[in-house]
Amino acid sequence: MAIEKNYYTIDPQGKLLCVKCGVPLIKGKAKFMYLDNGFPVELPVCPSCGFVYVPEELALGKVASVERALEDK
Amino acid sequence: MSQIQERGSTHVYKVNRISKEEIDSMAERCVYEEPPFCSAACPLKLDTRAMLRAAAAGDFKKALQLYEKVAPFPLILSMGCEAPCEGVCRLCEVGDGVAVRAVENALARCAPQSRTGLVFRTKKRKTAAVFGSGLFPLFLAGELEKKAYPITVFCEQEDLAAFLHCETPFLDEEAFALELGRLKGKDIDFVFGCEIDAAFFEEKRAQFDVVCASARVAKTVFPDAVCDEALMFFEPQKLVMGCGEGVMAAAFGAKKAALTVDRLAQNLDPRNTRGQEGAIETRLYTDLGEAKALRRVELPAGGYDLDRARKEAARCIQCHCEECLKSCAYLRHYKKHPGLLAREIYNNTQIIMGDHQLNKPMNACTLCGQCTVVCPNGFDMAHVCHLARQNMVSTDKMPLAPHEFALLDMLFSNDEAFLCRPQPGYESCRYVFFPGCQAAAIAPETVKAAYADLCERLEGGVALLLGCCGAIGDWAGRYEMTEQTRAFLDRELGKLGEATIIAGCPTCRKELSDFVSAPVTGIWDVLETIGLPEGAEKLPRPMALHDACGARGDEATQTAIRDLAAQLGCELADTPYSGDRSPCCGYGGLTAYANREVAAEITEQCLERSELPYLSYCMACRDRFARQGRESRHLLELVYGANACETPDISEKRYNRLTLKKELLRELWQEEPIEMKLDFSVEYTDEARAMMDERMILTDDVIAVLDEFHKSGEAILDEDGLMVARRRVGNATFWVKFSLEGENAFRVHRAYSHRMRVEKREG
Ligand code: SF4
Ligand code: SF4
Ligand code: SF4
Ligand SMILES: [Zn+2]
Repeated sequence: MAIEKNYYTIDPQGKLLCVKCGVPLIKGKAKFMYLDNGFPVELPVCPSCGFVYVPEELALGKVASVERALEDK
Repeated sequence: MSQIQERGSTHVYKVNRISKEEIDSMAERCVYEEPPFCSAACPLKLDTRAMLRAAAAGDFKKALQLYEKVAPFPLILSMGCEAPCEGVCRLCEVGDGVAVRAVENALARCAPQSRTGLVFRTKKRKTAAVFGSGLFPLFLAGELEKKAYPITVFCEQEDLAAFLHCETPFLDEEAFALELGRLKGKDIDFVFGCEIDAAFFEEKRAQFDVVCASARVAKTVFPDAVCDEALMFFEPQKLVMGCGEGVMAAAFGAKKAALTVDRLAQNLDPRNTRGQEGAIETRLYTDLGEAKALRRVELPAGGYDLDRARKEAARCIQCHCEECLKSCAYLRHYKKHPGLLAREIYNNTQIIMGDHQLNKPMNACTLCGQCTVVCPNGFDMAHVCHLARQNMVSTDKMPLAPHEFALLDMLFSNDEAFLCRPQPGYESCRYVFFPGCQAAAIAPETVKAAYADLCERLEGGVALLLGCCGAIGDWAGRYEMTEQTRAFLDRELGKLGEATIIAGCPTCRKELSDFVSAPVTGIWDVLETIGLPEGAEKLPRPMALHDACGARGDEATQTAIRDLAAQLGCELADTPYSGDRSPCCGYGGLTAYANREVAAEITEQCLERSELPYLSYCMACRDRFARQGRESRHLLELVYGANACETPDISEKRYNRLTLKKELLRELWQEEPIEMKLDFSVEYTDEARAMMDERMILTDDVIAVLDEFHKSGEAILDEDGLMVARRRVGNATFWVKFSLEGENAFRVHRAYSHRMRVEKREG
């Protein structure tokens, strides 16, 4: 069995709430996709409606730098 | 809302070949890598410039090392060399050339020697013999020793001193002792007291792989021997031999001979792969504008000591060309001369798989054309970068991200904010005013005032066209988009008949003249003809004029602007790099979008030219200078007494364009534009507003997110008690952090975006 690799993991530890469903977000499986490349990650996800949350630090940090790298491929 | 298709994949196996010849001929114009005049004239190819630099810095050991690279016996060479370098030294044009030979002599006499003799070296397997004595055998033995051949010298003399003394009567006692020391330090075997005749020669030559001889020995052994001077070779006997008279002939001969030995030792034809030998022509350019110290340091009878040598070496101006680097902050940022940068950027376009590391430099040039004017050879870096961008676009390798905001802005100008109408009361017009997208974005009031004035004072009707000329698409290398924009404008302008276009911006003027059939002029030309309007602001104080890069090579425009400024009472201060030599403000070529760091450096350099307030005639220049904190005015602001906005942010620039259109429609054409009403209200913290400008997020993007939230109720409540909602708009996902201020009122605290899509993953 292939070992699944996650590029990034965030555990919300119950600190974030889905406004629509009124339940705390949990660590869930998600995927970033850009220019036909995909990256499995674990992000805060609403267990009920599936809202995936990308925090600001992640968007401006890791995500931005991977974007730059892929853009220059 | 307009959208641009993101490229689908990073795996596009396509390159569009620009011919190698084309790029080579472009790159070759740059003479940066050409040798300085002194080195070019030196048959031994001494790196004179580096030697003088080291000597001037007081690093005499290194200076001597550089000299010894071409001169195994530096004192002999420095005393006998005819110094062709001195006559061609660039300083000769303003005074005395550098006394290169006297510096070399001081180094050979007084500089500390490096003790290479003691370092263990692996020797070559092939062996060489040198027959005879004199300068050529001495130098050749020195050269071959440097190349690590096991070498044996056969000579008539009885000892080293006698061998050295032959043909060096000009050495005084001290010099002789020094060179003898050098000779002793070299790893050369000597067989003294030989009587070299044909029999002796034949007996010995069999023991060596390569044999060499002085001219005299060669003639003794083979009376018919003639030397092929290019190779120092008598081919029938495979004999490397000397010829010619004097120190330089011997030194240069030994150099050529050593190369021939190399080829023979490898069983190769000595004629092949020799490169360029001897003195060459150089195309180097050097600015003598700042050359000083025109007289030589006085030369005492015994030659320079190290101190004087250092002073004389310091007179060398280290000839090299850097005209473009002096004037262009972009080139300085990448610390590369255009010849090299052009090749690298070209190579970047040819990469099929892997990182395109030169994308950033390729997209950072402002395409302003200044380098072409300041370069003595007219190097056109703008052409190289523009071509490279188009090339990347054509192979679908061009990243959209650096230019997307600007491209969307162009589409916005020619869609939501677009307006093209004949003057009220006219079916067709003699003129059409084309203020340009940046004027409408930054100075809507100025545009209004200018249009009103033109309508009032020109006969035959003046239509108005608010839009973008297409320069943005062109700069981005998006040729298809540019073509579409041009076709669109051509159609719209066509509806007005053959109206003469009055451009408000020099770049628009230039772009439009490239593709429209109607005549294009500048508003400055019109004002020159009809005179300034009443109430034009008088400004009797000095200002620094910044010429727009769009007006490069356009003397008429540059002159008209100066005349108008004079009529306004402006005293224009002269700045370095004005007129055709003016740098770009940092907006051109989309540098301000693709590489803000470089753009800021470019703007900074523009402002370094003067302490005064800046006067410009391109709205983008005006805006960038104001942003950098300098008092900045567009000529039309003064002419019409209607000011531009001070440093509007990206959203205001859009709002201004829309509002200008709406107001004009309402006021002049009595049309009530359809207003899109939001059913919620939004306010922004100052921090949010600044952050959005910095991150290129428009209020429109934020409103799209909030609108979505308003409908779906989807959001997160974060640790700080703020709501966070998101929406995919075009090629980016926008996130907004906000608070609820009443039922249908939002207060925006933060905003950010990313281009990657994000999705829940099953399993
Ligand atoms: S000005 Fe610049 S591009 Fe022109 S030759 Fe000199 S270094 Fe090369
Ligand atoms: S100034 Fe210096 S680098 Fe230039 S030609 Fe003279 S010696 Fe050579
Ligand atoms: S920014 Fe202007 S001066 Fe500099 S390389 Fe580009 S076109 Fe030449
Ligand atoms: Zn939910």
